[in-house]
Amino acid sequence: MAALTRISAVCHRGVRPLLFRSSLLIRPVAAQKDQDSPYLISAKIHATPSDYAASGSKAASLHWTGERVLSAVLLGMMPVAYCYPGPAIDYSLAAALTLHGHWGLGQVLTDYVHGDSKVKMAKAGLFVLSTVTFAGLCYFNYHDVGICKAVALLWSKQLD
Amino acid sequence: MALLLRTVARQGLYSSRSQFGLVYRHAAPMGTTAKEEMSKFWAKNTRLNRPVSPHISIYRWSIPMMMSIIHRGTGVGLSGGISAFAVAALVLPENYPHYLDLIHSMSYGPHFLAFSKIALAFPMVYHTFNGIRHLIWDVGKGFKVPEVNRSGYVVIALTVLTSVALAAM
Repeated sequence: MAALTRISAVCHRGVRPLLFRSSLLIRPVAAQKDQDSPYLISAKIHATPSDYAASGSKAASLHWTGERVLSAVLLGMMPVAYCYPGPAIDYSLAAALTLHGHWGLGQVLTDYVHGDSKVKMAKAGLFVLSTVTFAGLCYFNYHDVGICKAVALLWSKQLD
Repeated sequence: MALLLRTVARQGLYSSRSQFGLVYRHAAPMGTTAKEEMSKFWAKNTRLNRPVSPHISIYRWSIPMMMSIIHRGTGVGLSGGISAFAVAALVLPENYPHYLDLIHSMSYGPHFLAFSKIALAFPMVYHTFNGIRHLIWDVGKGFKVPEVNRSGYVVIALTVLTSVALAAM
């Protein structure tokens, strides 16, 4: 019921473009001759109709959401790794850490690297780095003690 | 309930459509994408060798500013550390316990161990707690300036306490 009230509030407040695919910018123009026209007389507008919107994909928005979801998942993995160490969490951590780092470094690149070719090269280098990182972590999990055990061993040296 | 929702939404859609219907004839589609515009802007800047106005060298540093760049710094550092560890795992001949024993067997000063544990834990703990602060912002909460400062101080305090606590473990 609460959701219903919210939708009607949005509708009545005239935030109608939210329900529309295209973004519309309307400049109301004072009616000169058409005093009897009750409608909003608009001047030049720019519209992005949905059939034109090649750049209208939700990719960027979904990427953003994916980044946040992954961060939350990674956060949840930490107590699990502490309480239930083992191969399952080792490989999950390897995947989540690598992807989180890959996306994070991707944002850093987007902020500081400019120019088509430079961006392409940097993104390619990052891809190689992330692949090698994931490969190395999986190798470590398989052939060596694994991430959780490694942290435990590292921390085990007691203070004298 | 869902039916009600749909009818209300459809009503909103229809009322706006009739208004915009007569106006669509004047619509001019955009020629370039935002991305293209941005590239053209940067290309022009570099081509004309335009000077950049001083920003971080003159703007007064604030706690939120510093915490933000430290969040990025710790993120890059931690990521680099993980990558270095992964490459080492692939390249080095011996296994992990071997190298750990090597490090443990080296002699060091009295507080070296405590210091190194804190130094290792600090970036990770800071990035985690500030990351939670970011996630809270992402759901839309805590943007007022006093709230930003307050949450910042909480993150710093928690980081210090947790790093020390972890080092003591």
